Amino acid sequence: MTQNLTAKPLSRRSLLKKVAGVTASASLGMPAIAQTKPFAGLKLRGAAYQHGFFNHLRKYIPEFEAATGMTVDLQLSAFPVYNQQADLELSSGGSAWDFCNVTFILAARWISAGLLSNLDDFTGDRKLTPASWNPDDFVKGAQVPYTGKDGKTYGYSWEGGAMLMGISRMDLMKKRGLSLPKTFDDLMKVADGIHGQEDVTGFVSSNLHHWFLPPYIHGFGGDIFASPPSDIRPTLDSASAVQAVDYYSRLLSKYSPQGVLGYTEDQARAALIGGRSNIFIHSSSWVTSMLTAQDSKVKETALVTRMPTGPKGDFPASNSQGLGIPKNAKNKEAAWAFIQWALSPELTARIVKDTGHASICRRSIIESAEYKRLNTINGQDIGKLYLDVLQQPAVGRNYMAYRTVKEFPLMGDVVNKAVERVVSGQMPAAESMRVAQEAALSSLRRSGAKV
Amino acid sequence: MASVSYESQRSRFARQAITPSLLFLVLVAGLPTLFLIITSLTPGALVNPGSLTDFSDPSRNYTLLLSDERFVGSLWVQARLSLYTVTLQVLIGTSMALLVHAGQGRWQSLRHLFVIPMVLPPIVVAVIWKLIYTPDISPIYHAAKAIGIVLPSLTTHVDFALWAIVIADTWEWAPFTFLMVLASLQTLPTEYVEAARMDGADSLGVFWHIVLPYIAPVLLVCTLFRVIDSIKAFPLIFLLTGGGPGSVTEVTNYYAYLVAFNFGELGYSSAITVVLLSLTVLISWAAMRASRSTQSIE
Amino acid sequence: MKKHIIFWAVPLLLILMLTPFLWLLQMSFKPTPLILEFPPQLFFTPTLEHYVSLWKDGFPESFVNSLITSTASTALALLLGIPAAYALSRWSGPGKFGLGLGILLTRMAPPIAFTIPFFLAYRWVGLLDTRTGLILIYMTFNLPLVIWMMQPFFDAVPDSLEEAALMDGAGFPTVFAEIVMPVASAGIAATAILCFLYAWNDFFFALILTRTDARTAPVAVVNFMNYEGWEWGKIAAGGSLVMAPVLAFSLLVRRYLVSGLTAGAVKG
Repeated sequence: MTQNLTAKPLSRRSLLKKVAGVTASASLGMPAIAQTKPFAGLKLRGAAYQHGFFNHLRKYIPEFEAATGMTVDLQLSAFPVYNQQADLELSSGGSAWDFCNVTFILAARWISAGLLSNLDDFTGDRKLTPASWNPDDFVKGAQVPYTGKDGKTYGYSWEGGAMLMGISRMDLMKKRGLSLPKTFDDLMKVADGIHGQEDVTGFVSSNLHHWFLPPYIHGFGGDIFASPPSDIRPTLDSASAVQAVDYYSRLLSKYSPQGVLGYTEDQARAALIGGRSNIFIHSSSWVTSMLTAQDSKVKETALVTRMPTGPKGDFPASNSQGLGIPKNAKNKEAAWAFIQWALSPELTARIVKDTGHASICRRSIIESAEYKRLNTINGQDIGKLYLDVLQQPAVGRNYMAYRTVKEFPLMGDVVNKAVERVVSGQMPAAESMRVAQEAALSSLRRSGAKV
Repeated sequence: MASVSYESQRSRFARQAITPSLLFLVLVAGLPTLFLIITSLTPGALVNPGSLTDFSDPSRNYTLLLSDERFVGSLWVQARLSLYTVTLQVLIGTSMALLVHAGQGRWQSLRHLFVIPMVLPPIVVAVIWKLIYTPDISPIYHAAKAIGIVLPSLTTHVDFALWAIVIADTWEWAPFTFLMVLASLQTLPTEYVEAARMDGADSLGVFWHIVLPYIAPVLLVCTLFRVIDSIKAFPLIFLLTGGGPGSVTEVTNYYAYLVAFNFGELGYSSAITVVLLSLTVLISWAAMRASRSTQSIE
Repeated sequence: MKKHIIFWAVPLLLILMLTPFLWLLQMSFKPTPLILEFPPQLFFTPTLEHYVSLWKDGFPESFVNSLITSTASTALALLLGIPAAYALSRWSGPGKFGLGLGILLTRMAPPIAFTIPFFLAYRWVGLLDTRTGLILIYMTFNLPLVIWMMQPFFDAVPDSLEEAALMDGAGFPTVFAEIVMPVASAGIAATAILCFLYAWNDFFFALILTRTDARTAPVAVVNFMNYEGWEWGKIAAGGSLVMAPVLAFSLLVRRYLVSGLTAGAVKG
């Protein structure tokens, strides 16, 4: 039945399509005729949050539908809305979705509660996934959140969040005689030096403190938990954590725009690319828009570089978003066919080339010449910066392990409130973190953790 | 004789007429409330299978509540929010009603337009005020900047965040008091006012001795109903502040929502909700008593 | 002089009060680049681009959902509630106060009190993200509202009116339908409007109990809290669209609305 496969010389991509199509149909018990659409008539339902990547992906979905015969219903919601609904949906064991976005902050919770399907079953099955798909091609740092304690894979990353520093007004820096900040101290000095010049604020950030703060905690020598993922006693009131909160809060309260506590990421980015704020430290796709966005006013004066190093080391945050299959999904093989296609090396390369979307997670693509060419802007090799940060947690100590603790969402909320209290002047850092530590302990105990 | 059989006919019809509704209400309101109380006795969390039927420690949630600073804090925030917003609404609403009433019917048709903030979907009210409170696009902020004043961002300021909510909520609900008081004013017999004026009372005297006592029952009912409604405050907080900065605008209702649907701790949230519900019962009972007694005055 | 101030104070006050709402409306028609501009241009060429892009983004579906759930829950509440209000009005037995309180409570309870048990129940019977599910939970506030509001209207219909018809040999159902109801029709209109309003405006229930299939308009507006953009024009357009039906509806039936709103709280 499978002789047809090797008969004709086919291009790599169409071979993949045929293999996926034919083997899927074989597993469905249908005759392996190249013309048969293996998933004919099936409606695949998936959900994710609104992100440029899915807007790009949507343009290619008709090809996928034509090849497999299924219709793909991809529902996108706003980020906070999606996260809440996905958490409720998966926690209640729902089967409304066949595939869904595995948001980094919730990945650990979902995996440890057994709410996602083990994808190794699919990648290991040569009938479903060709060897060329190569799961190991995904940058390890990006896959960390999706690897369970049992070493199995529960998601594949479609987006890498490598924390980089974007400086929008290098011209102002030059004018004031300021050089690139390399340490935390430098950063504070630069923020102070630029703030107020020509109506520019020295710094900008958004309300996701649980993402922005940890690099400073790590940089000062602390961590969120004592030794994640095994010892999850919170260490929010340690001297390093207090120092980090004090430092970060000063950046927000003294050198950031009015109302920064209420800023969404997009508002922060708007301030950056509009040249109203000088420094923004966030995932690469957010800061590189200084150089790539149409409405960026700072293309000539922008620089993307590594974030400063703390006294105890360099720990830029690195996360990812992934696609996974809920445990009770009804059409798992179809869902895998979709995920496999969406994250295949071929499609990834195409998306990079067609749209310039660069925050993908396949090492082979990131290191390719084409990628390098597309992502060297104004002489800056963004691709290298991106890859270095993305894989950093897998190279040395895994400082991002705190994110793999399933109780992290609780901690994230506590951290957010703690920073808000300090920035809005309600409490000094030490006291705010003491309150945060107590809240974290009671929250963790209430959820059953032994701390 | 004939009326006796009519009575029994009427009773029978009444029983038949009310039964479907009663059954329905038991189903959609009674049972869920019972279910809520039962859930509050478990450490129910969606991610822990079996926790929703774990009755090994029924008073756990309530004990935890007592020592939960965030919960106690939320009750204080709720109390302050209710106090400020109901006071403002009643004051402004009454003033508006007096103003329109003094126009002697010429602006009667306009009173329907005053109703607009009240009928808008609350989430749209939240969107409107989000636009007003965002420094980037709010005309108020830009105007202030133009004359050299840098207004602080209200919704992220520890001292002003709650007031930002109060202002938006008052804008939305002052028309309620306005309508009530206006309706009541329109039934005030003009002879009372004329008699008082002939006795030499000035406007303030008329208001204090004639008008105010007359509308007092309506004001009382208004206040109580608005207090009950203020406990339900959600869209404004959801969209404007998210309970922040810190927990400065986190009312109990919002905290219960976070615990239930962001943390997934349905058992604990049920306990918080039961406390909130008890408060509502108390105030509703008072409201009904007051409303019934004002009716008997009339 | 004072009379002049008072005279003009009212329309001025009205305009002042309505300014926030008018601001939203004008922003929905403003081209995006102009939105962030200051001083804001008060005269500009309006554009429909925000409304058009909303239409393409799944907004119509949420509108239809809102329409269906509001209308159906209103109809159901009226069907069950009107006879019940009559029954309560004619009740002379004990427990009338208690029953009234219970009904009021259902209306006054914070939505989360019902959302938790309903969420668990719906997940079990599969009513999550369905219009039926929403219609059912809307009954928790619509049915009590109908009973609460209609009771005073039935109180106002004297027994003698009924007895006159009964003496002519009519059965009670006929008496109710043909004699009592028409007298209370103004109340029915006001009540129906309020039910539709409260159902349409609901945010909390829809937020928790729906995902994408049964998502209603108010939740869809919030969905524009985009990961990659606070699209102000679109948000303003969304808000304007969501409020348009209730606004038009309210202004159309403003007489009934005002009497309904005042009756609902003051009486009974």
